[in-house]
Amino acid sequence: MRIALVGNQNSGKTTLFNLLTGTNQKVGNWPGVTIERKVGIIRNTDFEIIDLPGIYSLSPYSLEENISRRFLFEEHIDLILNIIDATSIERSLYLTTQLLELKIPVIIALNMMDIADKRGIKFDLATLEKRLDTTILPISALKKTNVFNLIQTIKQGDYRRNLYQHIYDHDLEEAISKLEPIVDTKHSRFLAIKMIEKDILFENYRSDSVDFIVDEIEKKYFRDMEQIIADERYRYIEYVRDEAVEAKKDLMTITDRLDNIFLNRYLAIPIFMVVMFAIYYLAAGPVGGWTVDMVGMGVGYVSEWMTVFLGNVGASAWSISLVVDGMIAGIGAILNFLPQLIILFLLISLLETTGYMARIAFFLDRIFQKVGLSGKSLIPFIVGSGCSVPAIMSARTINDETEKKMTIMLTPFIPCSAKLPIVTLFAGYFFGDRSGMVAASLYFLAIIIILTSAYVMKNILFKGKTSSFILELPEYKLPSFKYILFDVASKAWAFILHAGSVILIASVIIWFFLSFNFRMTYGVAIDESMLAWFGRLISWIFYPMLGEMSWAASISAIQGLVAKEQVVGSLAIIAGYSSDISEGRLIFNSGIFGFFTASSAYAFMVFNLFSAPCFGAIGAMRQELGTTKRMWKAVLFQTGLAWILAVLVFQIGRLIEVIL
Amino acid sequence: MKINVRLKPGDHSPLSKIKKGTRAKVIKINTVDKALRRRLLDMGITEGVQVKIKKIAPLGDPIDIELRGYELCLRKADLEMIEVEVIS
Repeated sequence: MRIALVGNQNSGKTTLFNLLTGTNQKVGNWPGVTIERKVGIIRNTDFEIIDLPGIYSLSPYSLEENISRRFLFEEHIDLILNIIDATSIERSLYLTTQLLELKIPVIIALNMMDIADKRGIKFDLATLEKRLDTTILPISALKKTNVFNLIQTIKQGDYRRNLYQHIYDHDLEEAISKLEPIVDTKHSRFLAIKMIEKDILFENYRSDSVDFIVDEIEKKYFRDMEQIIADERYRYIEYVRDEAVEAKKDLMTITDRLDNIFLNRYLAIPIFMVVMFAIYYLAAGPVGGWTVDMVGMGVGYVSEWMTVFLGNVGASAWSISLVVDGMIAGIGAILNFLPQLIILFLLISLLETTGYMARIAFFLDRIFQKVGLSGKSLIPFIVGSGCSVPAIMSARTINDETEKKMTIMLTPFIPCSAKLPIVTLFAGYFFGDRSGMVAASLYFLAIIIILTSAYVMKNILFKGKTSSFILELPEYKLPSFKYILFDVASKAWAFILHAGSVILIASVIIWFFLSFNFRMTYGVAIDESMLAWFGRLISWIFYPMLGEMSWAASISAIQGLVAKEQVVGSLAIIAGYSSDISEGRLIFNSGIFGFFTASSAYAFMVFNLFSAPCFGAIGAMRQELGTTKRMWKAVLFQTGLAWILAVLVFQIGRLIEVIL
Repeated sequence: MKINVRLKPGDHSPLSKIKKGTRAKVIKINTVDKALRRRLLDMGITEGVQVKIKKIAPLGDPIDIELRGYELCLRKADLEMIEVEVIS
């Protein structure tokens, strides 16, 4: 049996999904449209449950709604589990009325009953079930009440089959019943309504006889039929609500009180700044930095021990080097950032689940709107300070296509945590006491670049397009720690698997090209290695920002494509140290990197921060932008801009150095 | 932007022009953009529904309205398209 889990955003869908499936989950892609969907097996059964994106309707205009409805329409589904928020029953039932038209059995899980009880919302479930002809089970996914009953009901199959449903006025229902036999499929009622709405994605079901009936009904109403259908649905819902739901009016909720503080005209921005500073301090700043050092030390011990161990068992020099300089160095580079990423994922998960993230999007929209972005762009930008991959994916929530594309293209400009070591290394050595200021200046530069690029794009590429912003302000909620742990663990694991495999392979390849020359002799001098030869091919590109034809710096920058932290690793390896030694003194005193000055150091940082992100992020851009062509455009735009900026920085910097 | 005109119950106005705390009834949605119009309908902004201006962002835009027992944020430019009748 296959069950689809459908519900509004923020209705507790993910919590219920985790509860129903326990650990029996896998993430898969639905063929055709590459978008993540989760599949799991319900505990103690063999029922497959599919978690669809959170949606409000089955309209043809948004990507997520389209995916969901194509899935429900085309795939074989035995049961829809519709989760609805008991505290906003009207809006939730709007989606339900559409699901019921698919002629697939629907069970409603009436979630957040605990909150509804507290607020004095009372349900007459018998009437509600009768009116919708659907089985309804009150639950609380967060408090885990009644979820067992829900599973039992699904197992025993004793739920209403919602066979009859009559919700529109007489004329509409008549037109629907006339259309149904013409469009005849298993979802005839759904299709009949799509015909009346003139849904663009069901054009191929149209025929003369369909058009005749639709024209007739249009003449009767003489208004936009999509609006009539929506009005009618809500009219029916209001009727059901009046009969079966009793609610107290105008309560001053805790959310309202908190919003009086968090959205206060004078306090909102300062509070936001404190929150952002705290995140930076914990994830990217001193605390995060400390965890990086700790892991770095651990990796150092392991590679020392491994060198001794392999030496003792009589391994050859090149095989020791492969394991220590290639593999351990590569894996170490990822592990270095893991604690930092976990802190960041944790903080972001907290921001999201408490409801504060939505507030940030709400009050900053005004600023982002001016440059053609959305308040919701801020979510990817914040997440992007950890890792661009989840950040680019989180841009999905932006309704407007133009704003979404721009956000995806601009998100990699935010210095992600993997770029931090580059900043730490160069700023630390060349700017000494002022390294903090230099690091901050790069973040500041990133913000300026994002805002100006957005403004330019909006006025040149997407000129004259208007956009809208629709956001639901959720209630403030105390986060469920179990959920957060689960969320953080799955994100961290995905990072390890993804980055781990790619970086491990890349590290071994780099090690190979660095250790051998074209005659396949091991242990050649670095500037005779194959890597040096590749570097010389491209060093002219970097000349205008370095003032030196350096194969070593060039090849290091290119490695940023694999993973940004590889840049530092590569500098260290080429300078003759194992990759977890990133002390500027050692690297920049070596002859090969002795040419760096303050201005070329800053320029090199700028190039690495703004140029094409790592393969992981490029892949995410490809997925979210939809086509490979758009991905190439984005990558070229980013790299081109980075090159121009770096050259400008170096040339201006050199002038200043000469004058001083 | 300051609003100088005081609106009385029964007056018609775009939803973007009414003050915090005011209740109103939606008369007409004037958007030409089909996708936005459908989205507004899907979110429950249908003709005749009661709305209340609940919160205004610290920078004056967007605006949070309460309707059908939940809260929804929209930009002023979009609220401009929604014609309402002031209730109180």
